[in-house]
Amino acid sequence: MMPYIDYKTLIPRTVIWVMIALFLILPAFTTNMITLSIFISSGIWAIAVMGFVLILRTGQFSMGQSAFMAIGGYVSAMLTVKLGIPYWPGFLAAGVVSGLIALVIGVIVLNAGGIYFSIITIAFGEIVRIVALNWEAVTRGAAGILTSPPAPITIGNFEINFATSVVPYYYFMFLLVTMAGLVFWQIDRTRIGGTFRGVAANPMLSEHLGVHLMKYRVIAFAVAGVFTGLAGAYYVTFLSVITPLMFDLWKSMQIVMMSIVGGISSIVGGALIGATVLYTLGVYLSRLPIYNIQYLLFGAVVVLVLLFLPKGTGLVDLWGKFWHKVFREPEEYEIPEESEMAVE
Amino acid sequence: MPPAGIWVDGLVQSCIYVTMAFGMVLVFSILGILNWTHGQFYMLGAFVVYYAITAAGIPFPISLLISGVIVGGLGMLVEKFVIERLSVPGYGMLYVTVATLALIFFFEGAAGMSFGLMDKGMATVLPGVLDLGSFSISYQKIAVIIFTLVIMAAMYIVLNRTKVGLAIRAAAQEPVAASLYGISVGRVSLIVMGIGCALAAMAGGIIGPVYSVNPFMGRIPMIMSLLAIIIGGLGSLTGAIVGGIILGLLNSVIAYKISYFSEVALFVLVILILLIRPQGLFGAPAK
Amino acid sequence: MKKWYNVVAILMATVIVVGVFAIGCAKTAPPQPTGPITINIGEPVALSGSASPWGQIPTPFREAWFEVFNKEGFKIGDQTYNIKLIQVDDQNTAEGGAAAAKQLIFGDKCKFLAGHWTWNFSAISAVTNPAKVIFVTRTGSPDALPASWKGAYDAKTMPYVVFGTPSQDEFTFNCFALVDAFPNYKKLGLLDSTVGKGGPGWVVLQDTLNKAGVRWQSEWFAPGTTDFAPIITRFAEGGCDIVFVAGWIGEYMAFAKQRWEMGYKDMKVACSGPFVSLDMYKAVVGADAFEGAIGAYYDNSQFKKTIVNPKYIAQCQEALKIAAEKTGKPYAYTGEIAWLPSHVLILVQAMQKAGTVDDTDAIMKAIRGGTFDTTIGKWTMSGAETYGSPVVFGTPACLCVIQGGKEVYLSEHPMEPLP
Repeated sequence: MMPYIDYKTLIPRTVIWVMIALFLILPAFTTNMITLSIFISSGIWAIAVMGFVLILRTGQFSMGQSAFMAIGGYVSAMLTVKLGIPYWPGFLAAGVVSGLIALVIGVIVLNAGGIYFSIITIAFGEIVRIVALNWEAVTRGAAGILTSPPAPITIGNFEINFATSVVPYYYFMFLLVTMAGLVFWQIDRTRIGGTFRGVAANPMLSEHLGVHLMKYRVIAFAVAGVFTGLAGAYYVTFLSVITPLMFDLWKSMQIVMMSIVGGISSIVGGALIGATVLYTLGVYLSRLPIYNIQYLLFGAVVVLVLLFLPKGTGLVDLWGKFWHKVFREPEEYEIPEESEMAVE
Repeated sequence: MPPAGIWVDGLVQSCIYVTMAFGMVLVFSILGILNWTHGQFYMLGAFVVYYAITAAGIPFPISLLISGVIVGGLGMLVEKFVIERLSVPGYGMLYVTVATLALIFFFEGAAGMSFGLMDKGMATVLPGVLDLGSFSISYQKIAVIIFTLVIMAAMYIVLNRTKVGLAIRAAAQEPVAASLYGISVGRVSLIVMGIGCALAAMAGGIIGPVYSVNPFMGRIPMIMSLLAIIIGGLGSLTGAIVGGIILGLLNSVIAYKISYFSEVALFVLVILILLIRPQGLFGAPAK
Repeated sequence: MKKWYNVVAILMATVIVVGVFAIGCAKTAPPQPTGPITINIGEPVALSGSASPWGQIPTPFREAWFEVFNKEGFKIGDQTYNIKLIQVDDQNTAEGGAAAAKQLIFGDKCKFLAGHWTWNFSAISAVTNPAKVIFVTRTGSPDALPASWKGAYDAKTMPYVVFGTPSQDEFTFNCFALVDAFPNYKKLGLLDSTVGKGGPGWVVLQDTLNKAGVRWQSEWFAPGTTDFAPIITRFAEGGCDIVFVAGWIGEYMAFAKQRWEMGYKDMKVACSGPFVSLDMYKAVVGADAFEGAIGAYYDNSQFKKTIVNPKYIAQCQEALKIAAEKTGKPYAYTGEIAWLPSHVLILVQAMQKAGTVDDTDAIMKAIRGGTFDTTIGKWTMSGAETYGSPVVFGTPACLCVIQGGKEVYLSEHPMEPLP
């Protein structure tokens, strides 16, 4: 008897692993700085998008996520530049500070809920930007803070030098995205995630069943804050500079768009796809000699994706549908295509 | 006490915010979403007026009406082909909101590509200044004030004295009951979107000659009208008017006193309002 | 059996994905030119977004100038060289700047970036310095100042940066030029957006003005402000009769228009940049309010105190003519004369001095402390003490005034070299 191999799940999973492996060995094929930089940046935005989606799971729509990137970035920059702390402790501290601020704000603000919460996040984002711009003593205003790459790490005979090449940044970004992805995916998958969905779908019922609404909203907001802060801190060292103009309301809006285009049904896959597609699109559009077409096409692509994908799905859901189509075997009687996304 | 000139200037700012906020609240009460593209309709209206005056030589008041009609029509198209199709039950207004966010970029890019990025001026529209002793005010700014009064009066008449207005108010307050009475909420949504965008467009058109016209001019007025709505209370038309007036005056006075920190002051004020009394001045109490 | 078809399909898809990767990463071989060798000079410039008018309007002149320049090219030994300008949009943001620099250096193989004026000095120099690419930019954006003035420039870690346009000092010397032109002024008002405020440059500026005995009052506005009535009132109450606006075009125009309408017709308004398009200003500000407006002026045929090589004056005039032909209408924008052409001439003369077009270390050595003859005159690189390295060029700091709707030379206060 041949063992039963569930090829319906095995093959898509294999393809995913093959793609991950390809990404891992990409720097062996090319040290083209431009391509690697695009992937590094996409990965960083993907983490911010994951945070947004987690908050969305609890039913809240945060339009201030880029403010946490700014907070993380500034904390890490100030710690490394002004206090001379080495990069990695500063990086972790940035995440912690960002998470704490998210926690405090969440406790105060998440009670408002709904549209009020969204507007407060907008106001919060703007205030962070304005404070960064005007509090020169600390943030040096528009001049921004210049950061240097992390110090080289020596492992045995092998030295990882961030200053000479962009490849270490790429691998560390990989690591960071994987870590963030695992955390977010776990949260989503376990009971907490199920509770989040319940809270979002029917807050009143959940409350009746004893779920303490606020607790879960705040947890989601704080965890998102931590990782978004880490993403910001990493981005800042990649670009070597942080200025108040880098993270503003429009960037928060782009995070929202990346999440929806990617698809909110899968917190990790959707974020990665959405961030990579839109970020790469933005970069290639800006190379077109017809200026300002990038805004136009960017907006158009998002609207078109929203309009033409089946209601409530994003690009990541196409993945499931593709495999479903591939494996669908003709039956004697046609079974209507159910939304059985068994292959996720 | 700031000089009279500052108060008058604040009043002019208020007029813009009132018109914009009114349009936004109207759309919000029927469609249930904040139309983030509202600022872009403001910008498009200004461009339509600009081209109507400079390229076609149409007199200013008629240009305003034309821009209201054209951009209002555009708003209705957006409503029909984008918003309606994306209003998915069960997902709340998530997809519509993201679509309106994306449209911000779309319209900015379209305007930038079609009209160029340089500021365009309409200083010749109502030139001249009225000297009132301690301060002067340009005729254009007087026109803004008069325009706002006229528009608000018109809105009052439409909403309270016409059948269409009745239908709008009914649909806003009790959509289910309204549809039982035979009011097509879909058609009302279309009309309301058209009116809301027309208001934004005319606001942009009347303000164009005061400052200048460029594709990015819609960003800040949209945020300001959002703040005005919060002060006045989401969902309340009177709130939009009062909120707009307060915001405009406050902005000018604070800027006079503490210069550039007026930005922070306004956002902090809004956060405080949302935390302490989210319904603003006139809104319905939060659930 | 069906299972195998599926597996084959998947393998093909994987192969396609890998193939796309490979194509994306492949490098295209550059075509080999014959005759004069072409050097690529890259320019990260704002071609989209709100700063783009300033980036797009000079383009006809830039292209025309390179046409004129390449007629003769420049020679090192027996070899003639031409220059090709490659512009990449940097969107005036840090990320855009870094991406543009990477594109120019790694994609287009530029060893020199020049003509840069946008606000992303730090991000771009973070890419250019490790790559040993010479970056000719300007001083004065908040980070492009030395550490002694709380800026971000560090001569030791940024050995390949050249300040071809000293905007910081130009602003200061423009103030002096204003005072020269109006010796009976009451007070000079200085206006900038808060984006420029954090900049260390203002501290230096204020010190210098104080030392020279200039009376001034400074005000700030939030970026995006359109209503300047409160600030105009504050200036008027402070007794300022000249206001020098260091903001973008839009804010300058709004200020000029509003101060006129508020009744302060005697308040002169000066702009820290050149007039991008006179028609636009007249349309927005109003022709009568625009009379008497003051702006930066770079028409090198009009300089009175600075001597410019007649060859360069002739080249610029020719380029202006060609630009007018290209655009089909009169081309009056002279602002670019002080930027890219001047930067390029510095690079070219340094290459000739060093005898190489590839060894950027040798070229930098030739630049430091050297004297260069450009479209805006002959200046010696200064800044050895203040900047830590003598890589700061000079400027005539010339101003014009609008008379009869046209730009007319007003005054000039040539920059004194920095210590």
